[in-house]
Amino acid sequence: MTHLFELRGIKQIYAGRTVLDIPRLDIPDQKILGIFGPNGSGKSTLLRILALLEDPAEGSLRFKGQPCSSGNDAQRRRIALLDQSPYLLKRSVSGNVAYGLKVRGTKDQAAVPRSMEMVGLDPKTFGRRKWHHLSGGESQRVALAARLALKPEVLLLDEPTANVDSESTDLIREAVFTARQSWGTAVVLVSHDQHWLSEVSETSLGLRDGRIVQMDQSGQSPAVSMKKVL
Amino acid sequence: MDYILNGLIQACHLLLSGHAETYSAVWVTLRVSSLSIAASLLLGLPLGFLLGQADFFGKQLVRLVVNTLLSLPTVLIGLLVYSFVSKRGPLGELELLFTLPGIAIGQTILGLPIIVALTASAVENMDRRLRQTLLTLGASKRQILATTILEARFSLLAAAVTAYGRIVSEVGISMMVGGNIKWFTRTITTAIALETNKGQFAMGIALGLVLLFIAFGVNIVLHFVHRRGG
Repeated sequence: MTHLFELRGIKQIYAGRTVLDIPRLDIPDQKILGIFGPNGSGKSTLLRILALLEDPAEGSLRFKGQPCSSGNDAQRRRIALLDQSPYLLKRSVSGNVAYGLKVRGTKDQAAVPRSMEMVGLDPKTFGRRKWHHLSGGESQRVALAARLALKPEVLLLDEPTANVDSESTDLIREAVFTARQSWGTAVVLVSHDQHWLSEVSETSLGLRDGRIVQMDQSGQSPAVSMKKVL
Repeated sequence: MDYILNGLIQACHLLLSGHAETYSAVWVTLRVSSLSIAASLLLGLPLGFLLGQADFFGKQLVRLVVNTLLSLPTVLIGLLVYSFVSKRGPLGELELLFTLPGIAIGQTILGLPIIVALTASAVENMDRRLRQTLLTLGASKRQILATTILEARFSLLAAAVTAYGRIVSEVGISMMVGGNIKWFTRTITTAIALETNKGQFAMGIALGLVLLFIAFGVNIVLHFVHRRGG
């Protein structure tokens, strides 16, 4: 069986300190994986490695059976990462959402309004709005729409609802579910929202001090495990 | 005080009547300063990006040298260029002395450190999340560079305006390399210096007003670009 990601002997070291140490991990395809753990446990580092934004100091990573690295643009374009405080380009909302399509040379005109609607942003109202005229929740939704427009095979979400209001939280959740159902996008999710994480995750992974402390693929609710780790 | 007031009235008369000698200096200034700022930007933007983004041995020393060159006296640049382009100099055969390209070489040396230093600062101070965002949206290295330039456009425009202000208002280079030849290399600033020495304030004031008008126009453009971009 081919996994979404296969990690072997992965270590990441920043300024001489090991921040991630994963001897072996297989992340299943077509599932929603919830990653939990306290601050500084290596969750974001793991996501950046999975997003092919940085290479590990040691070990090997395979994506759908193929060796992969940060230098491979084609592989990176199949994966999208959304941070908890994403950066918006200094252009309009539709310009932001269209950016990824533009760099790929994709001419799917409908993708921009469609993905904006998925996150609850009316294209007519928000399309021409400048990046600095958006609230925190709207910015987060624009950033998510920019990733959804690309129909990524993998969507990595790093605390996507940490800094947004409840309305935006609900809209982000719905959009992620829609992407999962519509295109079979695999989702790897980091969140402090234990309730949401336990509700949506089909499998879960607990990290502490850069090491795996809990791996649950049985399908049972990871809520109990989370309480232990957190 | 009367002679200043009379000078101002005569200056207005010179400008409104289309006085040929006055407008010749204006035209020469616009031509040579446009050439100089274009060359400064062409050379300075890539160098500034390299200095701001790349890590290499001796980077701090280069930064120190560039910052020192910011306060390079125009008469010293004039002297250097003169010694190179005069008949006995290594570039004497090019016959650049007392020509507009000769002045432009000196003015480019004046503007270049400003463009390099301000571009490097703009790049260094850019949001660290930009690169990660562009990567995760699928941008290649070339697309990252192009988008980074676009993201830094307001800072780069401010750098260009600052450099242009210094170039258009310098006297030393134009006087020493250009020779202040009427109808050919006489710029606004050299004409002002000459006319004031002759006790002819009217033309000096008229040209001073034009210089102020140019500075005002450039800043108006910058203001509107900032407002449009937000």
